[in-house]
Amino acid sequence: MLFFSFFKTLTNQTVTIELKNDIRIRGILKSVDQYLNIKLDEVEVLDLDKYPHLSSVKNMFIRGSVVRYVMLPRSEVDVGLLEDATRREAANQAGKAR
Amino acid sequence: MSFFGFDTTLPRDRDRDPGPSRGVFENSDPFADIARATANADEDDDAIDFEDTYDGLGDQLDNDQDAFNDDTFGGGETKAVGRDFDFFGRTAQVSDAIGEEQVRYSLQHPQLAQAAPPAQAPGIPPQTATAQAAPPSNKRSGYEKYSDPGFIPDLQAKSSVWGTSQRKPEPVPAQASNRKMMSLEEVEAQMRRLAPQAGPMPALHSLPQPVSEPPYAHPPPQQLPDGFPPMPPELMAQLEKGVLPPHMQPPPPGVSELCGPGHPPPGVPLHLLQNANLPPPNMPPSGPQRQSGPPQGPPQGQRQQQMPPMARGPGNNGMPVVTNPQQLMHMTEDQRNAYLVEDAKRAKRNHKIFLLSKGNGLMTPQDKNFITRIQLQQLVAAAGNVTDSDLESVLTEDFYYQVYSQIRGAPRQHPHQPLGHFAQTYLLQTGARFGHGRRALQSADNHMQRMQQQVQRAVEAAKAKPKNKQLIIEGSLGKISFSNAKAPKAILNIKRPDSSEGAKPARKIQSDLSLSDRKSILTNLEAVYSALMSMEDMERTMPPPPEENDPEAIQEHMEWRQKVHTLNQKLWRSLKVMEPIVPNSTTPHPFIALLSCPKGKKAIPRIFRHIDQEQRVTILTMIVVHLDSLDVVRLAQSTPGEAQPSLAVREAIELFSLAVMPSLLGYVNEAPFNIIIGLLGLVIAQTHVQSVARTKVGLGILTMLLSRAEIVKEAGQAAERDWQQWVEKFNVLFDTLEPVLIEIFPGSINSGDDMYVWQFLAAVGIGASPEQQQRLVIAVKDRVMETVAYSKTLPADMSSQRLGNVNLFMRAIGLDVELLG
Repeated sequence: MLFFSFFKTLTNQTVTIELKNDIRIRGILKSVDQYLNIKLDEVEVLDLDKYPHLSSVKNMFIRGSVVRYVMLPRSEVDVGLLEDATRREAANQAGKAR
Repeated sequence: MSFFGFDTTLPRDRDRDPGPSRGVFENSDPFADIARATANADEDDDAIDFEDTYDGLGDQLDNDQDAFNDDTFGGGETKAVGRDFDFFGRTAQVSDAIGEEQVRYSLQHPQLAQAAPPAQAPGIPPQTATAQAAPPSNKRSGYEKYSDPGFIPDLQAKSSVWGTSQRKPEPVPAQASNRKMMSLEEVEAQMRRLAPQAGPMPALHSLPQPVSEPPYAHPPPQQLPDGFPPMPPELMAQLEKGVLPPHMQPPPPGVSELCGPGHPPPGVPLHLLQNANLPPPNMPPSGPQRQSGPPQGPPQGQRQQQMPPMARGPGNNGMPVVTNPQQLMHMTEDQRNAYLVEDAKRAKRNHKIFLLSKGNGLMTPQDKNFITRIQLQQLVAAAGNVTDSDLESVLTEDFYYQVYSQIRGAPRQHPHQPLGHFAQTYLLQTGARFGHGRRALQSADNHMQRMQQQVQRAVEAAKAKPKNKQLIIEGSLGKISFSNAKAPKAILNIKRPDSSEGAKPARKIQSDLSLSDRKSILTNLEAVYSALMSMEDMERTMPPPPEENDPEAIQEHMEWRQKVHTLNQKLWRSLKVMEPIVPNSTTPHPFIALLSCPKGKKAIPRIFRHIDQEQRVTILTMIVVHLDSLDVVRLAQSTPGEAQPSLAVREAIELFSLAVMPSLLGYVNEAPFNIIIGLLGLVIAQTHVQSVARTKVGLGILTMLLSRAEIVKEAGQAAERDWQQWVEKFNVLFDTLEPVLIEIFPGSINSGDDMYVWQFLAAVGIGASPEQQQRLVIAVKDRVMETVAYSKTLPADMSSQRLGNVNLFMRAIGLDVELLG
């Protein structure tokens, strides 16, 4: 749940998502679910020349499994908190495995 | 039995041979009666004997006796047979509407429906009981249940309606003498009277054939159910007067002309019969009547028992029952208008029902229940085990989001939304909805119970975190993996070691082997963090301060403090501050090693919040003692060839200044003077002061100590003896540093940040004696002059900043840059 929890804090921030087919999309993250499916608004496709068919797309739903990277606004990430959250997650996982 | 369901047994045989129940065809109908009557008229007893019939009976057949065959069979050769017998088909056409009406009624009058006993009870008023045998209940298509979502046929009730009542058609003995009730003979006589009259009325046959009402419009009294209480005379009188429900009105002699066979009975309005192709032709017979009582649910005899008001059509709102067009003609204008409006309304509504009912019956109630169960299961699975969604579990699952939201005030999407409650609510709603109208129906209850049980099971299963994450249905090729929000489907199935015993010793050995390698440092650091986090959790769960006379709260508080203490010890141990200091060791002290990691530096402010003063001074002492080996000091030595240390080191220094120094400063600012003296002594004795002074961190710590001493002195808190001790140490420090004072500046003059140096010089200058101050000025004079000159080439704001830094020192020794100007 760590990533879900993390991405939830980034809603209404501008993120750039790179898909596994190399398309990069910048948009406002509207919502994310536990499968890390992503809803983007005010979409803008980078390298639009290569993907003209996307020129009229204004918002989209991206299946989580096709996402390669999500580029985040650094100022919106609390690294220390994220580290702690990661530790907790690891502890949870260890607890479950036992 | 004959094809059309006519009763072919002779009257004398009937009593002897009740025969099996014949369902729909059990009821006598006028056709049969008439056929019987004609047969009785001429053949009576002699038709049975074989010998008599054998000898040319066919030839002897009297052809003029065929005169009434047409009446009997509805028109003879020239006319199509018709579909009067097709009860099923007719009813099936309207079964949807019947079902709708049924549902509507039961929803509106749940108490009635609930109160309805499954079979007829002896106490029921006879009039209503006869309604049970009334036409609508006879017209079962067998498919009503599919249009009624909750209906499951009750076999027992059926047999009581059909079987027993018809098997013993004994005349009611007690009332037989009471001539107000027609006996069998009377009825037959009436039939005979009727038959000749029916003959010369062919015109009536051009009227549309009625549905199936006529056969049932005249229930002979002897067909009352078995064990039925004898009818009271006054009721019988009512029967005779025609106050009975119109659809079961016995034909009084006066009306018999109108309601011969094939003619609509008075109870059924003509306009409805004529529009038999409209979906709900046997909706309530007439507007006013329908208005007066609850809507009529045709096929359910049990329901009808409970509705005596409905059976008496006329009068409730002062409007007459319109049974045929002529009656409409006789009404006043107002009445007619009202009736027509009512009629139009009803037609509209019927049409609407018809439109809505197109999808009826596509799903059986079982289907619907099945879907509902699946949906509920999904709901519960999605909710997972949120039922125990206290703050703790939310924090465990959603730590980052929750804390981040608290810190940054982000809007929460679903603040602790209790999904489990949602499922509960949904379940209760459906329970109310289903149980409302149909509690009488056993299997509907069963469905609800099953659903409830299933949801309960699902909730419990979700709580118990199901061990097996896959389901393999026998005979299927695939597997079904369970997953929910909390436990997404596992892609990899890695077997973990059953116990951690196998892995642990190896790790321990490794950490014992080298305390200084990076991996073990990081492991130790994680231990620090985990202890830290549990301490922070403890802080969050701190019980409120106990009151004096609340032993339980005091006890709780004591336990909490005990736990905090334990965790504090754990943290302290994992910090490894108390590890013995090995002189001349090649590996740094474990605590210093921790500090060499960025996250070790970051941990210091958090650690300082959870430890006491003694532990803080210990840490400070450790740092001061190992100032030489601190990475930020060791690596920050500016080598002659390089202007400044590498980027990584600069970042580390920056981090140390931001994370560690404020904590240390916070402690030093409150530290007693003797500790300051002791620390300065340690710096002088244990470290290479000249090299330490060349680094930002080293100078920072020295500045910290010197300024604290000055503050103590200014406040007059320093004892004379302590002060002497301090001056001694200070002199040693000054003498040591004097030769290298010009080297403590970072790089060349234009490299920027040298403020910390001027701060240090200012701290030294304040504490120095006038003689020392002079030496200080001589040592750094060049740098001062250079900086002043350089700042003149800079933009105004940068210039003033640089001059301000210099002035910091100049003012400390009683001078000012302005004097140099």
